[in-house]
Amino acid sequence: MSVRSHVAALAAVSAALIALALGYHNPFILDLVFTGLIFAVLGQSWNWISGYAGQISFGHALFFGCGAYAAALFAVHHGSPWLALVGGAVVAAVLAVLVGFPCFALRGHYFSIATIAVAAIAEITASNADVLGKANGFEMPILAPSLAALQFTDKGQYVLVALGLFVIAQLATVGLERSRLGYYLRAIRQNQEAAASVGIDARLAKLVTYAGCGALAALAGALYAQQTLYVGPEDTLGLPISISIALVGVVGGLSTVWGPALGAFVYVVLARYGGAMLGGSGRGLDLVLYGALILLIVSLQPDGLAGFARFVRRRGTAASS
Amino acid sequence: MAVDFGPLPQLIVSGILTGLLFALISVGLTLIFGVMDVVNFAHGEFLMLAMYATFGAGLIGLNPILALPVVALLMFLVGAIVYRVLIRRLLAGPPSAVVFGTFGLLVFLQGAAQFLFTSDYRSVPNPPFQGTLHLGSINLGEAQIVAGLGALVLTAFVFAFVEYTEPGRALRALSEDRVAAQLMGIDVQRMNAFAFGLGIACAGAAGALLMLTYQAYPRVGTEFALTAFVVVALGGFGSVQGALVGAVLVGLVEVLGGFYISPALKMIPVYVLYLLVVLVRPQGLLGRR
Amino acid sequence: MVRGLSKRFGSLRALDGLDLDVPPGRLTALIGPNGAGKTTAFACISGALRPSTGSVRFENHEISGTPYHRVARLGIARTYQIVQTFGEMSVLDAVIVGALLRHRRVADARAFALKTIEALGLGPKRDALCRSLTIADKKRLEVARALATEPRLLLLDEVMAGLTPAEGAAAVELLRAIIATGVAILMVEHVMEVVMPLAEHVVVLAAGKPIFAGDPRAAVNDPVVIEAYLGRP
Repeated sequence: MSVRSHVAALAAVSAALIALALGYHNPFILDLVFTGLIFAVLGQSWNWISGYAGQISFGHALFFGCGAYAAALFAVHHGSPWLALVGGAVVAAVLAVLVGFPCFALRGHYFSIATIAVAAIAEITASNADVLGKANGFEMPILAPSLAALQFTDKGQYVLVALGLFVIAQLATVGLERSRLGYYLRAIRQNQEAAASVGIDARLAKLVTYAGCGALAALAGALYAQQTLYVGPEDTLGLPISISIALVGVVGGLSTVWGPALGAFVYVVLARYGGAMLGGSGRGLDLVLYGALILLIVSLQPDGLAGFARFVRRRGTAASS
Repeated sequence: MAVDFGPLPQLIVSGILTGLLFALISVGLTLIFGVMDVVNFAHGEFLMLAMYATFGAGLIGLNPILALPVVALLMFLVGAIVYRVLIRRLLAGPPSAVVFGTFGLLVFLQGAAQFLFTSDYRSVPNPPFQGTLHLGSINLGEAQIVAGLGALVLTAFVFAFVEYTEPGRALRALSEDRVAAQLMGIDVQRMNAFAFGLGIACAGAAGALLMLTYQAYPRVGTEFALTAFVVVALGGFGSVQGALVGAVLVGLVEVLGGFYISPALKMIPVYVLYLLVVLVRPQGLLGRR
Repeated sequence: MVRGLSKRFGSLRALDGLDLDVPPGRLTALIGPNGAGKTTAFACISGALRPSTGSVRFENHEISGTPYHRVARLGIARTYQIVQTFGEMSVLDAVIVGALLRHRRVADARAFALKTIEALGLGPKRDALCRSLTIADKKRLEVARALATEPRLLLLDEVMAGLTPAEGAAAVELLRAIIATGVAILMVEHVMEVVMPLAEHVVVLAAGKPIFAGDPRAAVNDPVVIEAYLGRP
């Protein structure tokens, strides 16, 4: 897809969502859309490291939680939530470098397990540290709604901010694909040794990518915190969150710009709608459906839903050439 | 701050017993990896299923020890079927397919458990071995001892099987050099299915033993699985002996950490241990790759 | 420029005391029968293996044991005996990856890559996937990719293997053109005839030891060299 078509698609989606946010005042739907956008950003951030850089992370909740906790801490200590966004992102990027520097030398599955271990350490620490609110986490103070305070009474406005972040994430991904780093990551994924022979420092490339995606995930986390106004260890740092993020990425399709958005859409629809439709007894059914979806996708087309689209398009161009 | 060495002997024994149980789970995981290069992210879910099966057996009057052979056999069959239906297909694709495939399986099974059994904790009614054994300063629950020793016996059994029997040798041949093994006439697909089944059976047996002391709930699988992964990575992917050594080490660290640091933080030293080991020695303690 | 003083390693003396000089704008060949230690020598020079003793110097830098990417940055590029392509990438993209080393902006790299591709005759194939090329074209691609990094030294690992005589002749022409631009080439090669028309200087290895160094024409007639290749009569 060309840059122009990406921008066009982005504009279309944005227009639709803006219309929704401003016009449709159903809080349930707006909540869904908000969650979907957050997960689209999270999935995209996961996509950077697990898809483009080829190092599959199952501990992504670490960065999400980082941003969420930054927001909570700033709020509790009367700081500006916008500073919290920046602070969370910076801390996440630093964490990414600290974790990635030693771990990128590890073979794939060792790295994946390391990410789980680090996220688990973070969750346990947060559950037990007074400074981080222990197991109960933080209830963030409710402030007068305003952009400066990043709190709103109208859910639609949260959607607008989330949309802003989503647009940034999508544009950044388009940029990444076409940048020097993007080329380098592709080369590394194809053949790491040949990549090195043309001067590519694989570890550095992956570190930069990891730092960037950590920051992105943290931004999503901080925004999420601003909306729910509650941050606790299990909700933000737990393994189920990491699994959900990975799920969005896999279902949607790795190494594609629109994959995570697709995956987030499916996730939100199945999770909230499915669960809500079936009531309490529906718990778990959404997971069964995702799992089945993943198994189906992986067996047939490892590139996820977006991969299907690409597959079809390639067949189309081959047929016409 | 004075360190209390009094309970040390008890902690050590308890740590070893805990570790032995991890060993049984981990041996299955490392076997599957060794033979077919698959990191079974869904391993914990099979453990969880076995725990529920044992609970079910308990409902009809079979205690976990009696249920164990049935559950293990059942899980072996489940494993073989899962291999034929899913894993085999994943192996034909790119390496990421295997990771995401077993991940998808994890999500599917956990969701199914949550949906079918709800999040309630289930324990076996009237579990056996409720007494406590007193050996000098060491006080241990009978159930814990039986579980640990049972795990030891079964792990030794698996080890002996792999070392000394014909199919065991075939498995080892496959894990060392797949191409050569094929040339020697070993039916790779049959052996893979067998290995997968065996690995899951180990998880199954462990699950049955765990029901002597634990309760079943949908998430229990992921909690044990994470420890199992740490154990396997610590011991070296593909090494049965490594899994045993790693497991006992982890068990000790967990129990000692739980006492001397804090019960809530007991897993942190385990994870830190993992990170330290793989950074210093990427192939694990006894690993080859 | 490259001065390998002496290299040997391991309990197996795969390589024993090799001295090698590769001047710029010239082609130097390292040849010898199978098992002579050429691959080991190449590995030591290109940075894949750390030599037990001895050094490899390039423009006054000691490069033995240096990781690949840094070696590339210093100006040494290499090709592989078994071609290592970026399979799913297009030919153009693969060469762009190489060009990005010296041209940080993607647009600049693209322009340079296109030039390089044209110069090597791969122009019409620039949108084809790397893995769909013929062996000869893949080797050409590897050279293009290597040249895109603007090296001063090009290391070629048995580049003639698997080529038909016609493809081989085309390759020889290509190498001649490369030398003309001032790049130094060190070729490791098994086949002697190929090397003759090109090389200014030849070093022959047998059983890890250099047994001849000098003019290629003299090498062909040297009894020690003949014995190494054909065995004692």
